[in-house]
Amino acid sequence: MLEVNIKKKLPGFDLEVAFSADSGIMAMLGPSGSGKTMTLQCVAGLTQVDEGYINLNGEVLLDTSRKIDIRPQVRRVGFVFQNYALFPHLTVRDNIAYGIRHLEKAESDGIITRLMENMHIASLGHRFPSQLSAGQQQRVALARAIAPEPRVLLLDEPFSALDAVVKESLEIELLSLQQFYKGIIILVTHNFAEGYRMSSKMAIYESGRIAQCGDKGKIVGSPANLTVAGLMGFKNLLVGTVSQIIGQDLYLEVPGLSLFKIRLPEQMQLAVGMRLTLGIRSEFVRVSAAAEENSLPGVVSGVINEVASTRCFFSAGANLQYTFEAFLPPPADASLKVGSRLNFCFPTEHLVVVGQAGETAQTGSLAG
Amino acid sequence: MDSYLLPLWISCKTVLVTTAITFILGIAVARWMARYSGKYKGMIDGIFILPLVLPPTVVGFGLLMLFGKNGPLGEFLSLFDMTVVFSWPATVIAAVIMTFPLMYMSARAGFEQVDVNIENAARTLGASEWRVFWTITMPAARPAIMAATVLAFARALGEFGATLMLAGNIPGKTTTIPVAIYFNIQAGHTDKAMVLVFIVLAISFVSLAALTYWKLKIPAKP
Repeated sequence: MLEVNIKKKLPGFDLEVAFSADSGIMAMLGPSGSGKTMTLQCVAGLTQVDEGYINLNGEVLLDTSRKIDIRPQVRRVGFVFQNYALFPHLTVRDNIAYGIRHLEKAESDGIITRLMENMHIASLGHRFPSQLSAGQQQRVALARAIAPEPRVLLLDEPFSALDAVVKESLEIELLSLQQFYKGIIILVTHNFAEGYRMSSKMAIYESGRIAQCGDKGKIVGSPANLTVAGLMGFKNLLVGTVSQIIGQDLYLEVPGLSLFKIRLPEQMQLAVGMRLTLGIRSEFVRVSAAAEENSLPGVVSGVINEVASTRCFFSAGANLQYTFEAFLPPPADASLKVGSRLNFCFPTEHLVVVGQAGETAQTGSLAG
Repeated sequence: MDSYLLPLWISCKTVLVTTAITFILGIAVARWMARYSGKYKGMIDGIFILPLVLPPTVVGFGLLMLFGKNGPLGEFLSLFDMTVVFSWPATVIAAVIMTFPLMYMSARAGFEQVDVNIENAARTLGASEWRVFWTITMPAARPAIMAATVLAFARALGEFGATLMLAGNIPGKTTTIPVAIYFNIQAGHTDKAMVLVFIVLAISFVSLAALTYWKLKIPAKP
């Protein structure tokens, strides 16, 4: 297990994060410049911290209070850089061999051959990095980092420079990597969908801090604040006050709209009169017959036809003052066009409570 | 014939030894400065580049003050019965001082252009700072280092002003080719001067070819 607790002053913001990670993939998600890469660099020992503690499988890598700072060479932390950082003057084979040169040739050769087969780069041994495609370079970078059997593998936006097709196959390969690499993997990305796909645990970064960390299902089920909700894809917000709590049901009154019912969330102290913000993903908004639970009449204000869905904006409320977004299946008929009056529904089971939404939360679709 | 062979021989010795010393010194200092981020970085950098900006005779004058009979280093060395002024080592000292800034600047630019990520990658793979330098930084900066070396070599070959001040013109001992060219012209031996000029031109063209070759190999800035 990896335990990290570090502080570092940076121009622009202060990095102050604490988290732990176990075997498996943990995704660090957040906008560019929020401190994710810096965290990886500190874990690897490539950057100094102002104050901190890092413990990897019982070994203290960093403890500023006791002046312990193990140098990166012996931390046994693997790192795949965003630009792969392959050694341009060495062949693929020599690149992968770089971290295990101290082993007997027979042993290291065996390790390299096996790795290259697992990563589907077996025929590229004598090529130089400049002769490889981006996807191939990435595989070599991965193989090189894994060869010395590090205890932690840090991946800094490994897929950001790849086109969609290559990215898909590499994501699958990374997931199957876990069959022969059993250590802790931390994946940094700014792409939520990718982070969600690849990981079991997530840490959401916001300006140098971790806004929320934990099992991905829990984060999606109850985002800690507006930023997290936005990153998770909750495009639509409902801001209102709790009007009634009956048994397991909670009713939220949203000014200008109707009452919305949700299941009372566990572990939350909610009372009538409290201000609450709910979020729902655009994919879960439906068109419904009138008078369903959580339905609201709306007027379609924009339609964008995607390949397998229709992105639809609609206005609702007494003065049509709120705009929401829905991803709907392609319309069977031409009923979905600007100006159409339809009933939309925010199903109870897909409304989540956004914690600590604060004063800035507003009913409607999150900008962007 | 020896009016050509002697200067050629002296220049050969001087240039080879100078290039070797400047190469080592320049790379070592460039490596240090590329990583150094102290308060005085700019000032120290300025001192290293100074001989490039000063007129060679001024540098020569400075060296003379330093190594002369009454200069601090001159007095120190005379304790061991050694004099630098008007000796062959003076040609090397003058040439090293004059070529060092070129080697240093070019090598440092080369090191700074090396992607810090590949050096960091090497560290995470267990390479000590020494190993990172020799197996990653140097090979990656090779074109820049080679270009710098050719530049230093060419400069050493053509060094005149500081050399004349510190080493003087003692045929067979300190007369390098450039000095020999000058004094031949002075004495009216234009034909002898021409031969020496052609020798230098030939070596210079080869140097230029080598320099261009290596400069073309320097990767473009991303």
